[in-house]
Amino acid sequence: MKRFLALGLSLVLTMSLLVGCSNKTEETTTAETTETTTETTTETTTDSAETEEALPEGVLSLEEATLRIYAQYSDDDTKVPYDYAVEQLAIAYPNVKLELEVQAQDDGQKLMTYAATGNLPDIFQVALAQIENFKESGNIMALNDVAKSTGFEDKVFESAKNILYNEDGNIYAFPYAGNEYVVWYYNKAIFEQYGVAVPTTYDELLAAAETFKANDIVPMAIFGAEGWITAAMYDVLATRWDAGGIAKLDDGKGTADEEAYVKAAEMMHTLVNAGLFQESATTSNYDQASAMFLNGEAAMFLNGQWFMTDATATLGENVDWMYYPSYDAASYEAGKAVWSGGGAAAGYAVNPNSEHATLAAEVAAFISEKYCEAKVMYRGTPLVALDVDAEPETEFPAMMEKLQSILPEITSITKFDWHLTNGTFKTTLEDQTKYMLVKDYTAEEFITELGNSLAQ
Amino acid sequence: MSNRKKISFGKAVFALFCWFYAAISIYPVIWLLFYSFKNNSEIFVTNPFGIPTTLHVENYAKAWSQYNVPMYFLNSLIVSVATVVLTIAFALLFSYATSRMRFKGRFIMTIYLSLGMFIPVQAILIPVAKTVNSLGLDTTRWGLILVYTAINLSFATLVYYGSLKGLPVELEEAACIDGANIVTCFLKIIVPLVKPATATLVIYIFLNAWNEFILANVLVVKDELKTLPLGILFLQGAFTTDWGAMGATMVIASLPTILLYVIFSKKVEDAMTIGGAVKG
Amino acid sequence: MKKFYSNKLAIFFFTLPALLVFSVMVFYPITQVFVKSFYDWNGLGSGTFIGFENYVKLFKDTVFKLSNKNALIFSLFITIFQITLATVFSLVVSDKRTKGRNILRVSYFIPVVLSVTVVCQLWLAILNSDSGLLNQLFKAVGLDYQQNWLSDRNHAIYVIAFVNAWQWMGYQFALMMAGIKAIPNDYYEAAKIDGASSFMAHRKVTIPLLKETYKICLTISLTGGVKAFTEMFIMTKGGPGNATHTLTYLMYKAAFREFRYGYGMASASILVLQCIAIILIINWLFRDKEKKEGK
Repeated sequence: MKRFLALGLSLVLTMSLLVGCSNKTEETTTAETTETTTETTTETTTDSAETEEALPEGVLSLEEATLRIYAQYSDDDTKVPYDYAVEQLAIAYPNVKLELEVQAQDDGQKLMTYAATGNLPDIFQVALAQIENFKESGNIMALNDVAKSTGFEDKVFESAKNILYNEDGNIYAFPYAGNEYVVWYYNKAIFEQYGVAVPTTYDELLAAAETFKANDIVPMAIFGAEGWITAAMYDVLATRWDAGGIAKLDDGKGTADEEAYVKAAEMMHTLVNAGLFQESATTSNYDQASAMFLNGEAAMFLNGQWFMTDATATLGENVDWMYYPSYDAASYEAGKAVWSGGGAAAGYAVNPNSEHATLAAEVAAFISEKYCEAKVMYRGTPLVALDVDAEPETEFPAMMEKLQSILPEITSITKFDWHLTNGTFKTTLEDQTKYMLVKDYTAEEFITELGNSLAQ
Repeated sequence: MSNRKKISFGKAVFALFCWFYAAISIYPVIWLLFYSFKNNSEIFVTNPFGIPTTLHVENYAKAWSQYNVPMYFLNSLIVSVATVVLTIAFALLFSYATSRMRFKGRFIMTIYLSLGMFIPVQAILIPVAKTVNSLGLDTTRWGLILVYTAINLSFATLVYYGSLKGLPVELEEAACIDGANIVTCFLKIIVPLVKPATATLVIYIFLNAWNEFILANVLVVKDELKTLPLGILFLQGAFTTDWGAMGATMVIASLPTILLYVIFSKKVEDAMTIGGAVKG
Repeated sequence: MKKFYSNKLAIFFFTLPALLVFSVMVFYPITQVFVKSFYDWNGLGSGTFIGFENYVKLFKDTVFKLSNKNALIFSLFITIFQITLATVFSLVVSDKRTKGRNILRVSYFIPVVLSVTVVCQLWLAILNSDSGLLNQLFKAVGLDYQQNWLSDRNHAIYVIAFVNAWQWMGYQFALMMAGIKAIPNDYYEAAKIDGASSFMAHRKVTIPLLKETYKICLTISLTGGVKAFTEMFIMTKGGPGNATHTLTYLMYKAAFREFRYGYGMASASILVLQCIAIILIINWLFRDKEKKEGK
């Protein structure tokens, strides 16, 4: 009898716990918010009625709502801009509350499920491939009007117009990152220590690799667990022969068996077999490979230009970037204007079925703009989408100044892996370029697989 | 004589192997503890295996400050316990019916229920989310609990079915002659007899629910319902990850289960023995 | 007795909860997997019906063949590894004369308690070609056997299978322990009176009585091998290249990274069919003897 009683009691307890925690909290919180909202609405309505034309200084709207936002928020590069944007939002949209959900590194599974169940947050960060997918199913709002009314469109750098408009001419996301570049970093101190000159051709690169290896220095660290960087490496090589690089293949304007792509694959094979990369390249993650470079165990490193801030913070004067080496001196010189990297029409998007869709769109535009400011002010990068009126908190790293000074000379850029639109080609390129890091994987196999993916 | 020596030498080697394997099995716990006190550079380059040179206690502080650890912990506990209770109850009832009772289609039924073991969760992610959503369970714990229960049912019924098949029917027949009805028979005879299986299943299902990430990531839409494995979201970036803090969250998530297991494993063992004793 | 076991009401109420929860939460989604495998579908919206086109493409896909080969290797490897070790260890630990058997018992199960993420990170560190424990060990001993464990296109699958086998061996061990515990003592006593050595007693008494347990273990490891995913996903991302792809990996990649959801579902459907085939074969293999015993 006692046992039954205890059992029954515990059952009741757990049940109430289960139900209670889910429903009750919900009720109370909604009750609270509705209370406060009713208060503020009455206030704001009278307010806005009186001061329709004269909003307080710095306030853009008094409209009031709680918006769900799905954004990356896990490291300084994502937290600093977000926190800054929220801070600024409190001034410009004092009655808008953001409810942040941190984006998972899950290949978009969660966002996709949200879209499938009609649960999309009001504002969300999207990559280009997702935009294409969401477009067809009406899960992403066309932001053309809001881009005009908020003046967002006018603030976009002339050179970055390519990252505002989708292929179909519409605007689906407010970008904040500008055109970015794949940068070939090197450790000046190590180069000097072993008397190695900055390589301009592949032969020099191979000779340099020999020297470093003989001295137990990894010539070049690469985070081969990530497909985008191996794809970038391949793109760096391919652009020496054909400025179109992987972007040309993605756009369907080239085939994998063209000379440029075959030559690039062969060169990658040669470099891998010469031991350019660390032994553990295929399984190295970003933190492993960058630690190698920052600890002075590797002489060179490939990464985006956003790495300049971190690299300078650790290596100071000793770090610099070089032009990509090429197959001969002439192509090296010519190739100085041809870079790997790029930008895409991606960023903050808005759920068209949101209760406050227009407001959400305005807020999304606002946040993207603030991201640009924060990136200039605190993250040491002027390569943002918008021409914002912000001064860097500290000077840009010397490497950035150098890059900025040659930007006008750059005539051609390609695409980062995550800006590719052909999903099958993209994943195949990632897998296959990673595969190229294995010594016995041949260029022929690579080209065949790449060709197959383009034929899909 | 020499033969005997050979045997004892062989035995020693065998014992050594058993203990060596045991050592390798415990090592991850120690490794994880060390890991959680290191920074990225130590973890990957300078000192992947040794004792941390400086104790980066801030890893824990960081993990703790990123998300509401006690709340996530409580959520995990509620979801896991509820999953265990429901799965065990449903699976045992079902397996009892399919292994003992006579009716058409019981073989088909067992195969049907075992389907859950074969499907990778990623494949059913979106339809499951849609179902949970249309039932209005997406803002409650029940969404996660019922899905976990359904998925674990396949395995649990398989184990119960096997263990019931292995039991002699005579015991129930004796009770049946005494005039007990089927419910009494089930509670008084069957439930104690399958205790060994129950004990292992409880642990397994609990761990499954406790460590589950993929479904939790997609099905939990409210912060106040999130479970512990989702804590890593706050530390894992698109490029860089704070691995030390990740280690700390993993310790926070696993250490309680390890301790619980070590403490209660004796109880589990006893539970298994009682099962044997009843029979004997 | 027959009446007792054909109580319709009892059958109904005993099976209903499990069937209901399972049908709604798992079976219905599985039917969606099969339905969508006939569509050209990106995961959202409605898609277009294309009949067997996804399957035709799948059977032509070189990665599909590789995935099946990998599944076979993976399944066999973990089955042999786990069942052998679990048998040996469970017999050792259940033998009352073994010293420290409690410590051994707890230890063998520890990897199961840890999450897959932790276990994979550990083995990634151990198997790292530059700083990994294993290569350093070989170096220290003076053996020239350093390997790129996880980036060897022919052998990486075995290494990953090992990690999976190592982690889940503990569970099969626990199942066997439970099975051994459930064997009534008098069986042993009878064997002892017959004067059988402990080895013979195990071979003649314990192992045959564990038949149901073996059936379960076999089902777990074979189907677990066919649908392996997490280890590849964390440790090699299916690589090097596609050398460690499995059907699940293929499905995941197609559905979430390439937005070819329909194609991914075709891969998942094949996977489910393979698993059903496996369980039917296992049931068939174990069936004959069952009947003999029953009567």
